[in-house]
Amino acid sequence: MNKDQRLLLLVLIAFTGINGILIATGSIQLDAKGFGLIVGAGVTLAIYSFLYGDNPVFKLVEHAYVGVVAAYEFAQVWYQNILSDIIHPLAGNSDNPEPIWSIIVPTVLGSFLLTRLVGKAVWLSRLAFGLIVGLGAGLLIPRRISAYLIQQIEPTVGSIFTSTGFDPNAAFVLIGVVSVLVYFSFSLEHKGVVGVVSRVGIWFLMVSFGASFGYTVMARLSLLIGQLTFLMQDWLHVPLPLF
Amino acid sequence: MTFLQRTLPLAIAMVAGLLGILTFYIPVWEEFETRSAIWFRIVFAFAMILGIHSLLHMHWTRIRRNQAGWAYSAVTVGAFAVTLLFAIYNSGAGPFAVQNLESGGLGWIYDHIQVPAGATMFSLLAFFIASAAFRTFRARSPEAAILLVAAICVMLGRVPIGAAISPYLPELSQWLMDTPNMAARRGILIGVSLGAIATALRIIFGIERSWLGEDRR
Amino acid sequence: MINRLQTLDRRVIYAVIFVGVALALLIDFKFPISATPNVRAVYQGVETLDKGQTILISFDFGPSTVTELGPMARAILHHCFSKELRVIAVTLLPEGQGITQSILEEVATEYDAKYGEDFVFLGYKAGNEAVILNMGQDLRRAFDKDVRGNSLATMAATRSITSLRDIPYIIDLTSGYPGVEEWIQFGQERYGFKLAAGVTAVMAPDAFPFLQSGQLEGLLGGLAGAAEYEHLIGREGQAVSGMRPQSVGHVIIIGFILFGNLAYFLGRSRT
Repeated sequence: MNKDQRLLLLVLIAFTGINGILIATGSIQLDAKGFGLIVGAGVTLAIYSFLYGDNPVFKLVEHAYVGVVAAYEFAQVWYQNILSDIIHPLAGNSDNPEPIWSIIVPTVLGSFLLTRLVGKAVWLSRLAFGLIVGLGAGLLIPRRISAYLIQQIEPTVGSIFTSTGFDPNAAFVLIGVVSVLVYFSFSLEHKGVVGVVSRVGIWFLMVSFGASFGYTVMARLSLLIGQLTFLMQDWLHVPLPLF
Repeated sequence: MTFLQRTLPLAIAMVAGLLGILTFYIPVWEEFETRSAIWFRIVFAFAMILGIHSLLHMHWTRIRRNQAGWAYSAVTVGAFAVTLLFAIYNSGAGPFAVQNLESGGLGWIYDHIQVPAGATMFSLLAFFIASAAFRTFRARSPEAAILLVAAICVMLGRVPIGAAISPYLPELSQWLMDTPNMAARRGILIGVSLGAIATALRIIFGIERSWLGEDRR
Repeated sequence: MINRLQTLDRRVIYAVIFVGVALALLIDFKFPISATPNVRAVYQGVETLDKGQTILISFDFGPSTVTELGPMARAILHHCFSKELRVIAVTLLPEGQGITQSILEEVATEYDAKYGEDFVFLGYKAGNEAVILNMGQDLRRAFDKDVRGNSLATMAATRSITSLRDIPYIIDLTSGYPGVEEWIQFGQERYGFKLAAGVTAVMAPDAFPFLQSGQLEGLLGGLAGAAEYEHLIGREGQAVSGMRPQSVGHVIIIGFILFGNLAYFLGRSRT
């Protein structure tokens, strides 16, 4: 047995011992909820064991998680889409006794997608992809123009001169937006005036990426805090804060 | 066969795309917009099934061929089967009744496996980000220094300890977010939108055909 | 020595983070919390609604981000139920159903809110932006029944709502896709409702252009945003207590960054 295997065995024994103590003291009940708490803590610690190094327990939990998520999502698609949007409308119900026959068209197109699994008929799936891709592209264009281009350009340019006069913050924003767009125009050589403007754009981008980094650290730490709270408060029954 | 395999899908994409654009500007076609969105949802559901099948097929192939890690793939397939059984059993109501979200077995698996595992997976990143920041976050140039200073200001300004250090930190952090960050993001947003519109037009007019996949000969 | 510091075993860094955050959870200390303008705007948006008015909350997040968005969701629901607003809940993520159900029922129980009258959960539908489009045109064609199988026409909370146009305020709590951008493009832009968002901290910087343009009324970003909202509604809970370890964690990481830079510049000056 090597060092890592001994460490793993030690951790498993400690985990079992802690749970034994928690059950013996009545902190965890021997029911579905109590068992679930133990399983949840075990899953959490198994995943955290990856920080020490990749190991069989982490891999086991990781693969089980993938299977569980796939089945859960399949179940949601079945009940909330296939059953609700296809089977019930076609079969008719108490509110709408007449079947809605037009549902057959998207159902057939959708089942064409599944022909990707059948070698000779895979060309049928292209018909369905054509609908999804084409419709998605068509729906996107006017909405992007309206919601992103017009609605974003208007306040950028329009708020520089207000009823109270010149707004330096708004001018600063305009410089930022233009310089970033110039930076991303790679078909223009970044020399001379274009080079200077592009460098200003880089500074704005650096501030933005720094802010992103700060917020990303905040996000990841929040998740860690949540899991540590679960382990300490819900599993170990340590009242937080303790001191 | 070329007509069915290439021309017809491209034609469908063009017609669907042009209709998708026109329905935004022609109010009387709102019914078409509603119906096409319903159709999109239904076809999308099949796409999700395809994705799930793809995942299971990969693991099943690994088990069948006794490839390295096949035992873990068996765990995946087993976990899928057990979870699906509970989902379909639906606390006794079965697959054709309304789904009972509090369904005993499925609810238990969701609360005690899926939720902790999902949250913990992402919380690992807190450690990796700290380690990566220590090793690689260096102010090697003026631009990197700007990034560093902005990151530190935002990290301190967004939490209460920042206000305890200096009342100007939260204000500075808010200004950084509202002004230079907002300007840069807006520039990126406009640029990306122009690119997305160009790509969408290329798809509709059949110039961009990568979505068709490979021709199998 | 400097080389050794620069190549410090990553597990030492992990251990310092772990111990620092755990100690901050165990030891109580308080820093005052004040709300930023974007959080205050969301609060005001809900505050200006009258008793009996409807609010739609889209819980577009799953287990992986429940730590950030769960406290946000609870705080907003507390605010809504305390004002006796009618809450319509929906989710565009399949893994969001379980979490939405449990958070809704947990908060509703505290206010004796009745299902069907005070709140309704429509459930999940695949289709992302297509679902938003459908809801905007005809809510009943997007969701003919709620998650319990009740027809929307029979429930007091949804009887008078035919589409998103009838809803004065919508809040999207999102961890990514579908999220703010889809709700703006396919919902707010077309149907003109007031939209606010609660996002994970990773996504928050991306949402500021929409705040400034007025497409978003307000924005909650990450656990800090949730803590500010809890402070505004006077119910300091999980998010506020999370600010202790959050602050300590940030200081530790900043310390590592500055330390790493110091070691780097010292090493450079030696060579």
